[in-house]
Amino acid sequence: MRAEEHRELRLALGAYVLGDLPAAERAELEGHLEGCAECRAEAAALGSVGQLLALADPARFSRPAPLPPAELGDRVAAMIGSERRARRGQRRRRGFGFALAGAAAAAAAVLAIVVFAGGEGSGPGPAQQVEFGSLPAAVEISATLQPHAFGTEIHMYVKGARSGTLCRVFLRDRQGRAFSAGSFRYRWGDDSDAVLSSALDLSRTGSIDIHVGGRTYSAPVGQGTAAATWKSTEEDI
Amino acid sequence: MVELSSERDVREAYAAHSGELYGFALRSLGDAGLAEEAVQETFVRAWRAGERFDPQIASLRTWLFAILRNVVIDLGRARAARPKLSGEGGVEPSVEPLEQALLSWQVEEAMRRIGEDHRRVLVETHYRGRPYAEVAEELGVPEGTVKSRVYYGLRALRVVLEEMGYEG
Repeated sequence: MRAEEHRELRLALGAYVLGDLPAAERAELEGHLEGCAECRAEAAALGSVGQLLALADPARFSRPAPLPPAELGDRVAAMIGSERRARRGQRRRRGFGFALAGAAAAAAAVLAIVVFAGGEGSGPGPAQQVEFGSLPAAVEISATLQPHAFGTEIHMYVKGARSGTLCRVFLRDRQGRAFSAGSFRYRWGDDSDAVLSSALDLSRTGSIDIHVGGRTYSAPVGQGTAAATWKSTEEDI
Repeated sequence: MVELSSERDVREAYAAHSGELYGFALRSLGDAGLAEEAVQETFVRAWRAGERFDPQIASLRTWLFAILRNVVIDLGRARAARPKLSGEGGVEPSVEPLEQALLSWQVEEAMRRIGEDHRRVLVETHYRGRPYAEVAEELGVPEGTVKSRVYYGLRALRVVLEEMGYEG
């Protein structure tokens, strides 16, 4: 086998494995392959890569790789930070759900929005507690929303769903557009709140939705509802 | 050695791998919002399970991809189980099996990483099915050069895929 011939034919292996060689060249190369273990191995290696080409979409790889938004890293860091704090303060945080989710509360369509101070100027605004109404018996859902520079931190409390149920949470702005706040799995006996975050600012949030086991529950959030409640009270007077 | 016990470790892991993880999440979920959610959930789960991460068994990248895979499956199930949200628009369930989506994403990502000359001839000859002579004329190079670029392009693709963990 001449080195020159080997080198030249080797360069045709790409076209060969892709089935692009004209018949005469293909026959010549196959003759060479019979006597050249090195080229046979190379053809096999390139052939397996060649088969993968069909999986790739040139319209996709011709564009630059999509990048996550810059603030996603901050959201991840904030979420982990708040979960770490939540673990420490879990005992302290419990109780919201219990305190407010009594029998009377469960019957009402839309319950209460309790606005309380965020304490020690810890965030850009006060946290809000939201209660979900129209829930099946024995199910309790509540949320505490805390504004942040990155968006909204959400402490979601669920009780009474089937263990292992996937829960997905969305905030909606006043136009009804949904902003994902992530998902978590409800575990029976795990009496803690899930810590989530969404890019939507609390000040622009109109409602919060939670999908639990194929059903969706929604609760109003923020000034819009508070103002409406206040206004109707005024009219009553 | 990378660990994931502290928030700083997670930040470093995020800086190193979030781009790839997001690329795959977007490829398999087909929705930017869900892809962000998947990446976020992946790092939170990684942090929660940080003590179980063992670099002797798998690289951090491999481990994160394994977590993301599970997250994507969970998100896919959740999406299948609920009615479409009016506000989300354009979210279609992925019909592609996840393993194939992963492989497709790997090949596309590898294609981005090989040289422009190599990518170009593969696109023109293989994906567009154009004759080598025509492509050679358009590029102003001998036909033999197009042929050798196809060869070196496939070799480069193989090297990049192996770096990304492909074992074929």
